[in-house]
Amino acid sequence: MAEEKPIRVLIAKPGLDGHDRGAKVVALGLRDAGFEVIYTGIRQTPDMVVGAALQEDVHVVGLSCLSGAHRILFARVVELLRQSGREDVLVIGGGVIPEEDVPFLKERGVQAVFPSGTLISHIADYIRENLPAGREA
Amino acid sequence: MVTVFDPERLEEIEKEKKEWEETALRENLRRLGMSESPCQFCTPLDVTDRDYLEKEGFPGQYPYTRGSYAVPVFATPFGEVLEGGVVAPRAGQYAGYGTVEDTRDLWRAEKRRGANIAFDLPTQCGYDSDHPLAEGEVGRAGIAVDTLQDLETLYEAFEGLTTLDGMVSNFTINAPCNIILAMYFALAEKKGVPLAKLHGTPQNDILKEFAARGTYIFPPEPSMRMIRDTITYCSKYAPEINVISICGYHMREAGASEVQAAGFTFAHAIAYVQLGVDADLDVDQFLRRFTFLDFGGGMDFWREIARARANRRVWARITKERFGAKKPRSWIMSGGDTIFVGPSAYTLQRPLNNLIRGVIGGVMGYLGAGFTFGGFPWDEVYGLGHSYEARQLSLDAGRILRYEAKLKQVVDPLGGSYFVEALTDEVEEEIWDVIRKVEELGGAVVAVKSGYTQREIARSAYKFHREVETGERVIVGVNKFTGEQELEVVPPRLVPHPYDPKKLESAAERQLARLARIKKERDQGRVDGALKAVHEAARKEDENLVPYFMDAVKAYATVGEICDVLRDVFGEYEAPSIL
Repeated sequence: MAEEKPIRVLIAKPGLDGHDRGAKVVALGLRDAGFEVIYTGIRQTPDMVVGAALQEDVHVVGLSCLSGAHRILFARVVELLRQSGREDVLVIGGGVIPEEDVPFLKERGVQAVFPSGTLISHIADYIRENLPAGREA
Repeated sequence: MVTVFDPERLEEIEKEKKEWEETALRENLRRLGMSESPCQFCTPLDVTDRDYLEKEGFPGQYPYTRGSYAVPVFATPFGEVLEGGVVAPRAGQYAGYGTVEDTRDLWRAEKRRGANIAFDLPTQCGYDSDHPLAEGEVGRAGIAVDTLQDLETLYEAFEGLTTLDGMVSNFTINAPCNIILAMYFALAEKKGVPLAKLHGTPQNDILKEFAARGTYIFPPEPSMRMIRDTITYCSKYAPEINVISICGYHMREAGASEVQAAGFTFAHAIAYVQLGVDADLDVDQFLRRFTFLDFGGGMDFWREIARARANRRVWARITKERFGAKKPRSWIMSGGDTIFVGPSAYTLQRPLNNLIRGVIGGVMGYLGAGFTFGGFPWDEVYGLGHSYEARQLSLDAGRILRYEAKLKQVVDPLGGSYFVEALTDEVEEEIWDVIRKVEELGGAVVAVKSGYTQREIARSAYKFHREVETGERVIVGVNKFTGEQELEVVPPRLVPHPYDPKKLESAAERQLARLARIKKERDQGRVDGALKAVHEAARKEDENLVPYFMDAVKAYATVGEICDVLRDVFGEYEAPSIL
């Protein structure tokens, strides 16, 4: 256990939405749960998010959006990660995401969507169990 | 000591209370197997050192503990209008989707007589619809307004129904507020309506954007300068415009406690009042045009009520004692006298429960505030717009509180309650502590610049969530009572709504076409000249930028172009790292 490297998570706010309560709470919660967490702050383009993910060599990118722009922005982040050859980064999302949009996002590579009311312990368990092969911490 | 109680009688009460604790209470606890009572219990002993006239007084009189007005808004015909599922101001419900044409057509179909405009995020952040950061956001959180032409198109909704001098316009926008206001003034000039006859409220509360909501553009100082411009320009040319709507709601929703939301809001308000004072305006004159939005609210019933009562007293003391305002109108917290349960207390899980949460907010409003309603529709949590069914339920909830339960019969019914008065004092002191702390740091501008306010709010948000996570704070259907025997009750949302989601899909494309067209049609030389004038004026701190914005928008310069000029002069705000 003591030799284990912590899992690195980037929490990011793509788009112009400034509602970052959820992003900050998840960032703090995952940090308390033993993850290494980087928070981008608000107003990031998908390019900026992916740039930060590559630079920080994270295992997980957690995207948050409450403005309704998630379909475009989340999909773009996954696309850019793939273009950079980083299919081994687990991408998850949260915010105000209508249930109807979840299959759309999953098809495009967002592997899990956590609605409001989700406990952070649940997100932490999910990440631990779903890290892509070869990237288990 | 001035007290409403006879001192000798108080001594007897104290003696009797001890005896009660040792007999009745102890016996009851013993039978229940409890070591101490789970309930607070108050007597006159908890409120001995009070002068009724100084602390409480009468509704509509200083210090307004018992109400902002002699007759509360909820008991007036105006309250009838407000009874709806959402607070419905004269400007009509807060709305805007897709392009200005979509919203114009919707408003026309609804025969609206007022404009309460939601702007999309690119507009709120000073980016045109064709900016890379606008991708995915155009027409989403509201409408895109790139140029004056967009506002001209939107206001076609009212043709034949009302004119600008007969209606109210609310603009929920902050950083580029004066550009939008300049568009409204330009529109009025074109229609031959004197600015002095315009009514409306821009939100214009930039400090809470730094603190919580995030649609800032420029650093705090030039942002405050632009609010000074609103105050000075409007006091001279458009005296019926409410220059600002100061908000606690967004900070509360971002996680601030009820005390922090109140304290930070008043700290912000102090900074805004100081702008008018520093511009040598008469405080009683410009305070008439200061309004509050509201302070949000959560499920902590008694503290919300105490907070609302304390708020009125705090604002009265700030305006009278600190700023020396002499007119009672200046001491009243116009518009902010509300309690409701905000959407962050609503849950996606078992969502119909939100109706009940909303109703509890409605009851709190009657018990502690000046106006109230039946709560936000339960389906607020979906972020899809309220269904007609959900709206009907909230409307009826408000009506049942008002007409069946007759809650409007009494003004401040809890006034004089030993418990509520003691709690009001306690909460008031906590609010003053927040204000004092901000003042010690150098005021609200310094507090947001350093990230102090943001950190405090994030800390509270996390604390709240920890309490949910550990089960210390119960949320029904979320972290408790979630077993297999529980039912997920989700009522239908089937009544067709004029809000056409297909239009939303094509909104960005259509808005980009509008923007390209106007850019081609306008006189570019005139645009360049007006933008150059904005640039020069922005560099002079004393200059009021509103007239320069008016020239620029009349030439159909875009919000993004004007903001770019200002970015060049003012720089951009960089959020302090707070995690």
